[in-house]
Amino acid sequence: MLFPTLAFAVFFLFVYLVSWSLDRENGRRKLFLLLASWFFYAQWDWRFVGLLIASAVLNWGVAALIVRSDRAGRRKLWVGLGVAANLVILGFFKYYGFFVEQAVDLLAQFGWERDLPLLQVVLPVGISFFTFQGISYVVDVYRGKTAPAESLLDVMLLMSFFPHLVAGPIVRASDLLPQFARVPRLTREMATHGLLLIVWGLFKKTVIASELATRLVDPVFFDPSAYGAIDIAAAVYAYAVQIYCDFSAYSDMAIGIAALLGYSFPRNFDQPYRAASMQAFWRRWHISLSSWLRDYLYVPLGGGRKGLWSSCLNVMITMLLGGLWHGAAWTFVAWGALHGGAQVVERLGRAVVKDRKVIPTWLGVLITFHVVCLGWILFRAETFDLAVQMLVGLGRFEAFSLVTPFVLVLIVGGLAMHGLPPRAIEGLAERLKTAPSPTLGVLIGAAILLVEAMRPEGVAPFIYFQF
Amino acid sequence: MSDPKDPVDPFPTQAHPPVSPFPPLDPPSDWIGAADAHDLPTRENALVALGRFAFPPAPPLDEEGEASRARRWTSQTLFIVCAFLMIFNAGSVQNWALQQPPGWGQSTVDRLATVWVEQLDLLGTNLPVEGMRQTWREFQAVRFDGRKDEAA
Repeated sequence: MLFPTLAFAVFFLFVYLVSWSLDRENGRRKLFLLLASWFFYAQWDWRFVGLLIASAVLNWGVAALIVRSDRAGRRKLWVGLGVAANLVILGFFKYYGFFVEQAVDLLAQFGWERDLPLLQVVLPVGISFFTFQGISYVVDVYRGKTAPAESLLDVMLLMSFFPHLVAGPIVRASDLLPQFARVPRLTREMATHGLLLIVWGLFKKTVIASELATRLVDPVFFDPSAYGAIDIAAAVYAYAVQIYCDFSAYSDMAIGIAALLGYSFPRNFDQPYRAASMQAFWRRWHISLSSWLRDYLYVPLGGGRKGLWSSCLNVMITMLLGGLWHGAAWTFVAWGALHGGAQVVERLGRAVVKDRKVIPTWLGVLITFHVVCLGWILFRAETFDLAVQMLVGLGRFEAFSLVTPFVLVLIVGGLAMHGLPPRAIEGLAERLKTAPSPTLGVLIGAAILLVEAMRPEGVAPFIYFQF
Repeated sequence: MSDPKDPVDPFPTQAHPPVSPFPPLDPPSDWIGAADAHDLPTRENALVALGRFAFPPAPPLDEEGEASRARRWTSQTLFIVCAFLMIFNAGSVQNWALQQPPGWGQSTVDRLATVWVEQLDLLGTNLPVEGMRQTWREFQAVRFDGRKDEAA
C-alpha cells in the first residue's frame, strides 16, 4: 500500500477518524494504531508482521534487562547482545545472499570450490529502518538518554508506526516515546503543515520523480552505450533530482500523516543540494540516518577526539558502512567510499588552510553537487560495468534523443526547489492556519486535482523501499 | 553525542551561544526586558467598553477545548477535500475499482462509481481536470526541434 494511492487514502481516513474518536483512551488509541500499522505492513507480506513483533519484543526485553541490571558489566553485556541480535536479524535478511556469494567467489579464487547453502531470502520492506530504530532504543536506554518505554505496546508502536515504518525517517525513542505517554494534541498549525507536506510530497513523487524516472533515468541507466553525452549527463542530473524528490516526498508525506494523527517527526531533508561541502551535505540529506550514524557509529568509534587521522579513518568507516546499509552490493560500498573519501579530503584541506575561506560558497555548492552526482552514478547503476559505461559515455558526443523541454523543466524545477526559502512550507502553513476550513479544503483539493492531472498513470514504489 | 567543540565533526552538532563582544554589566542592568511602552495604561474607548459589557467575550478555551476545536476544523477540512475530489476527480474511484480483483465489493464500488461518474460528467465536473491533463500532455510532447512527440 503506497502513500500516493486511493487505497492508502481510504485506509488513512479510516485510521484518522477512529484514532481521534478514541482520544479519551490513550491505551486503546495506541493499540488501534498498532493494529492499523500491522495491517498496513501486512499488505506487502503478512508473514513479516511476525518479524516486526519479534524485533519489538527483543528490544523491549533487552531494554528491561538493562534497566534491571545493577552492575555496569552486565548492562554492557545486555546492550552488546541486544545490538548484536538486531544486527543478526538485519544481516540474515539483507546480507546473507551477498556474503555467501562473496565467500563462494573468494574460495573459488583459492581453488577451493564449495557449494555453500544459498537461500532465496525475501527482504522484508523497511527492515533497515526498524532495526536501526530498535538499536537506537536499546543504546539510548543503556546510555540513560531515554527512559525505558512504559509498556511493550509503546515499543511495538514505536517500531511499527505506519507513517515511518517502511522508509523512515528513523524516529528515535527519545522523540516518539514521550509523545505516546498521552493522547496527542492536534493544533491547526500541525494540521495545515501536515496537509501541505502531503500535497507537496505527492507532487514531488508522482509528477517529478516518476516522470524523470520513466522518460530519462531508467532507459539511460539500463543501457548507457545507446546514448550520447548530453542524454547521459541529463540522466545523471535527472537522477539527482529524482532520488531527492522521491525520498524527500516519502519523508514529507510520513511527517504530514503523523502530524494529522497528532505526532511530530523530525525533519529528514533540508535542501541538500544547497550544501557547500560534503560535510554540510550530510547535515541536509537523510538527516535521521546521518545523525544515527554519527551517534551510534562515528562517536563510539572515537569521532574526532583522537586527532585528525583517527577522525578521517572513523568517517571513512562510517560512510562505508552507511553505503552498505543502503544495499548488499559493492556499488553501494563504492558510493560510501566516495562520500567518505571526499569528506577526508575536506578535512585534510581544512586542516591545511585553517579558517581561511579559499573557495567561494557558490563554487563549493557546484563542486559538492557534482561529487554527489558522481556518487549517484554508482548508487543507481546495477553494476560497476554500467557505472563505467555511464562515465565513458560522458565523453561521447552524439545527438541527444531523450532530452526534451519537458524533461529539462522537471530537472531545473527540481533543482530550483533548493532556491526556495528554507522553511517555505512552514511559512505557508503559518499563513493558512487561520483560514476557514472550507477555504483550506478547496485549496488543498484543487492542489491535489492539479497533481492528479499532471501525474502519469500508475505509481512506482519509492526508491528507499528496497533498503 | 559528538563533541560540539570538535571542528572536524562531520555531522550537525549543537550550536554554541554566540559570545557577546561587550563586557558583562556590573552591577547588572535594571532594564526590564518584558516591559514595553505599549503596556502603559491607556484610556479605553467608552463605546468599546460598553460593547464589552453588553457582549462579554467568551472565556479563553482550555487546552482540551482548543484541541477539540482544532480536530473539528481539521476533520471539516479533510471532509471538504474528499468532497471536492469526489466531484472533480470522480473517475479515480472508478479506475481504482477496475484495478481490484473481482468480487462483490469490487463490483458494487464499480457500479456506484460508474453511475456517479456518468451523472457528474453531465454536469461537466470532469472538464477542469481533463483540460489540465490535455495541456500538460501537449507540453510533454514538445521537442526541441519543434516537432511533437506522438508517443507522449
